[in-house]
Amino acid sequence: MSEIPHTLSDYEEALKNTKSSVLTMGSIASENLANAIKGLLERNEDLCNDAIAEDEEVNAYERSIDKEGMEILMRFNPVATDLRAVVGAMKISTNLERIADQAENIARRARKILKKNEIDEVRLIEPVFKMAAELVEDSLRSFSEGDVELALGLYDRDSKLDKLHRQVMKTFTKAMESDSENLRIYLNLIFIVRCLERVGDHAVNIGEDVVYLYEAADIRHIGPSALEADEEE
Amino acid sequence: MNDTMSATEHQDYSTAPQATTSNPPEIEHEVVIEIDDVNFSYDKKKDVLQDITLDLRKNEVTAFIGPSGCGKSTLLRCMNRMNDLIPNAGLTKGEIRILGTDIHAPEVDVIELRKHVGMVFQKYNPFPKSIYENVAYGLRIQGIKNKAILDEAVETSLISAGLWEEVKDRLDASGLGLSGGQQQRLCIARTIAVQPKIILMDEPCSALDPLSTATIEDLITKLKHDFTIAIVTHNMQQATRVSDKTAFFYLGELIEFSDTTKLFTNPSVKATEDYISGRFG
Repeated sequence: MSEIPHTLSDYEEALKNTKSSVLTMGSIASENLANAIKGLLERNEDLCNDAIAEDEEVNAYERSIDKEGMEILMRFNPVATDLRAVVGAMKISTNLERIADQAENIARRARKILKKNEIDEVRLIEPVFKMAAELVEDSLRSFSEGDVELALGLYDRDSKLDKLHRQVMKTFTKAMESDSENLRIYLNLIFIVRCLERVGDHAVNIGEDVVYLYEAADIRHIGPSALEADEEE
Repeated sequence: MNDTMSATEHQDYSTAPQATTSNPPEIEHEVVIEIDDVNFSYDKKKDVLQDITLDLRKNEVTAFIGPSGCGKSTLLRCMNRMNDLIPNAGLTKGEIRILGTDIHAPEVDVIELRKHVGMVFQKYNPFPKSIYENVAYGLRIQGIKNKAILDEAVETSLISAGLWEEVKDRLDASGLGLSGGQQQRLCIARTIAVQPKIILMDEPCSALDPLSTATIEDLITKLKHDFTIAIVTHNMQQATRVSDKTAFFYLGELIEFSDTTKLFTNPSVKATEDYISGRFG
């Protein structure tokens, strides 16, 4: 959106509301993810249940943002930055919905783990979660503040998350060999760490949508080099 | 003008424009109109157009957009020297060339120029004559009397304007009895009949209902296969629907000129962005 308000105040308001809805949806999805992991680490089933129950709210936001977006497209025929803002909001909300789905998956697996005995390796999830959660938080900040540099930086940080994910997976796989009694726990932990890795991918997708929104450059499947090529042209 | 614009030119209607035929898309079309560093004044004191440079290419529709008073209609009327009719008005700098010929060169016959640069106006203006005579008018002015040639030209032009099926059984009826959209298409048929190279359209749909507007827009996209078209429009969505290139004017200056898709998705100039997204103008 431009800093100059639109002549149609309804339009200006609708654009602002859509952005605000995406940010609210993002904070609920982030909270669900945090609750799912906290529930696992603190062995608190209520928090896991919250993460599962709150997924419905995120789903409702996704539907509502799509509806708002379609209404703006239909009523106001936005162009340029406004058009990209509407399309971007709808795409970002899809990624946030998937992040919340991952939170729900984690919470369901965590509940299964909580039914078993406590093992120390669960703690290995914490740094992976921290990295994934920071990626989500910064992808939303880049959207909120139009910070393209921050959005582009998500690529490298996601690579680090992937590396950590592989390390932790290796540790769990190795532990399964020596501790066959807790096989089910390790399998669920592997599932959870994979969910967190996917959360990072969704954050990167959001970053790509932010770059498209603010720079009109489609860097998907190409990476930041696409932006540099655009600038050279 | 060059010899392709001679008054004695043979009119071969067997090759008259066919609305349904189309050329394969070309990457870079031939430049038909060159507007080269043009300034224009209505009173020889204040320039209302300043430093305008842009090329209009064959088989492309170029839309001129901008707020009222920005000079877009003035520039359109420069291209067939309609502004000559206003005392003291004229270019104060630069040149407009059509197919390489300076349209203000002394040897250029203005009537001949307008035969090659047709114009469609905001308010449809058929003559108080029959449908047939409206279309045949320009040809009769050129001295064509042969009934067979006139019949063929009228039919071909009405087909190209998408009006033939609606009026073929009542060609002797008054043009004024048609609906608004039909009258505008009749005016387009009249323009096409003299086989111009260029069609200038000054807000051709602003007085029409949505369905008639859609019909004219559809017609424009078909006609571009045979003509070079420049259209002035206040309707931004219309510019996105029908044009290949868009020029944005503001206070007599050309602010941005680029492919329509580029201009409406990622304009280079902030003033363009603010105007097309409805933040001023």
